[in-house]
Amino acid sequence: MEAGKRKTEEEQQTLVDRKRKAEISEPPPPTTTTTVTMNAVETLVTQIQGLSGSPNDVVALHAHLNKVDEALRGESARLLPFLDQLDPSIHSLGYLYLLDACTSGPVSKELAANLVLITSRFITSCSTEQIRLAPEKFTGMCKRFKDQVLLIEAPMRGVAPLLVAVRKVQPSSEHLTSLHPDFLQLCLLAKCYKTGLSLLEDDIFEVTQPRDLFLYCYYGGMICIGQKHFQKALELLHNVVTAPMTSINAIAVEAYKKYALVSLIDNGQFSPGLPKYASSSAQRNLKNFCQDNNLGLVKQVVSSMYKRNIQRLTQTYLTLSLQDIANTVQLNSAKEAEMHVLQMVVLPIQDGEIFATINQKDGMVRFLEDPEQYKSSGVIERIDSSIQRLMTLSKKLTNMDEQMSCDSLYLAKVNSKDNLAKENVSFLSLCWNIDK
Amino acid sequence: MDFTPLSNALTAKSYDKVADFCDELMLKAAAEGVPFQDEWPYAIHLLGYIYVNDVNSARFLWKSIPSTIKEGQQEVAAAWNIGQKLWTHDYSGVHEAVRHFDWSEQTRPLVAAFAEVYSQRIFRLLLSAYSTISIQDTALFLGMNEDDATKYVVGQGWILDSASQMLTVKKQAVAVEQKLDSDKLQRLTEYVFYLEH
Repeated sequence: MEAGKRKTEEEQQTLVDRKRKAEISEPPPPTTTTTVTMNAVETLVTQIQGLSGSPNDVVALHAHLNKVDEALRGESARLLPFLDQLDPSIHSLGYLYLLDACTSGPVSKELAANLVLITSRFITSCSTEQIRLAPEKFTGMCKRFKDQVLLIEAPMRGVAPLLVAVRKVQPSSEHLTSLHPDFLQLCLLAKCYKTGLSLLEDDIFEVTQPRDLFLYCYYGGMICIGQKHFQKALELLHNVVTAPMTSINAIAVEAYKKYALVSLIDNGQFSPGLPKYASSSAQRNLKNFCQDNNLGLVKQVVSSMYKRNIQRLTQTYLTLSLQDIANTVQLNSAKEAEMHVLQMVVLPIQDGEIFATINQKDGMVRFLEDPEQYKSSGVIERIDSSIQRLMTLSKKLTNMDEQMSCDSLYLAKVNSKDNLAKENVSFLSLCWNIDK
Repeated sequence: MDFTPLSNALTAKSYDKVADFCDELMLKAAAEGVPFQDEWPYAIHLLGYIYVNDVNSARFLWKSIPSTIKEGQQEVAAAWNIGQKLWTHDYSGVHEAVRHFDWSEQTRPLVAAFAEVYSQRIFRLLLSAYSTISIQDTALFLGMNEDDATKYVVGQGWILDSASQMLTVKKQAVAVEQKLDSDKLQRLTEYVFYLEH
């Protein structure tokens, strides 16, 4: 083994150039057996070092790596030391293949602890251009990284790396990747709700795997609940509950329970019916369930009931005494009623829920109209930006509609025999009219 | 562990950024597998969240702190005490929680800044929510004694009725900006064009 010798940079480069020229013209014999000698791995490492310079070289390297991938995985246990010879930021593609092969076999807890650190450093420092040549491999390796992090019971260790991984592998912030739900899952387990929220702020327009969207919306809904963004939680959970599915699954059931509870907290009401576009299996099965495992949400529902009832009073009364409020809403005292009203009042800067002033002298509350006259430039700015966003969204929808109208599967479904016959008749009648 | 961005923020009094820096540093440390819990400035982290009124995140952070630190480090427990009072809307309790602890040199400026911001927020709440309010309650809300509280609000234009011990709140007129620029006309044209097509 020549591990001890240190060649000069120049010597290494010439040697590598020669090897590279030799190997590209004559690739090493295909290994049909599942084992690979350590010499062959050494050679591979040198190749990686030589071929990671220019984009053309990297493409050639990629092709070669794909050929030896299967063989490498058979040797997963012995590949780890070779990673030290590579620089993850320069030799990212080669490093990825080796690391992926290392993690393809069963991983013990001790090995996991070691791998987690190596992988997290790789993700942070790897070159985005290089790993985008093999996105499925990168994604697969990151998912195994998440499993390892959970194995060593340290979810927080994976949060920052997975966020970096998502940004590196997604073509744009509008694309949903398979790593989105994994990242959100770790945020939930590590209680890093605020960090999870930052990813949920992106508007998603492109989805490849429906299952990814399903999980993304479920975990995303839970994170929004944790940060009390109930409106957004409802939107996300709604997607889970109305997703197309042939049979009911546990995630949909859980999502429905949370959906119901959040709906009660935020809107004060909940209608058990699902919209027509929900799958038929969902509609049949989700109506019967019992509340469990959602104690936190249930408590919030109870406390929100007071708010809801007070809000209803503002629609009927102009002024009301604190004692009457307490009686109607079933609070213990006028003072408690006062505290509840206080919590709900609009602050000039924060969003509140009612417009009211308390008159302690008389023990009365006066309910007011929303003073917003919608004349200020602040309001105009808000309306402007909403309209801009709607225009962009509308353009995207038009594009999607055009694309779908050309999709063969869709056309096949629409143009069944009957439809075709009807269309022919109407086309013919049109021709006759033109003739006349 | 390199706490430079955090110490810089504290020195520059950018208290609203403290929580974000703490989050970043904590996730970085976790990714490196560094066992950071023992030397982590949990008190400052909690106070950073409390300063920007993100009591939800403060709660989640408190839940993740190891119990040995919760019991051992009194300042951490004291910082959470403030958060707890905010969570339960115990307005006067917040002031007490701020005062009834001898804060360390590092945390004292942050706590003082929070107390200032909080008092202003409470004052604005009182302006919005009350037309008349007792001196006693005003003092409790603002965390002052009754004389100081009265002096302060009278200085803001409130009217004192000593007979009934009541204060009448003076509402502040909200200045509303109403001027329109010419580029708004441009935008209106765009919208009409869009709607027509």
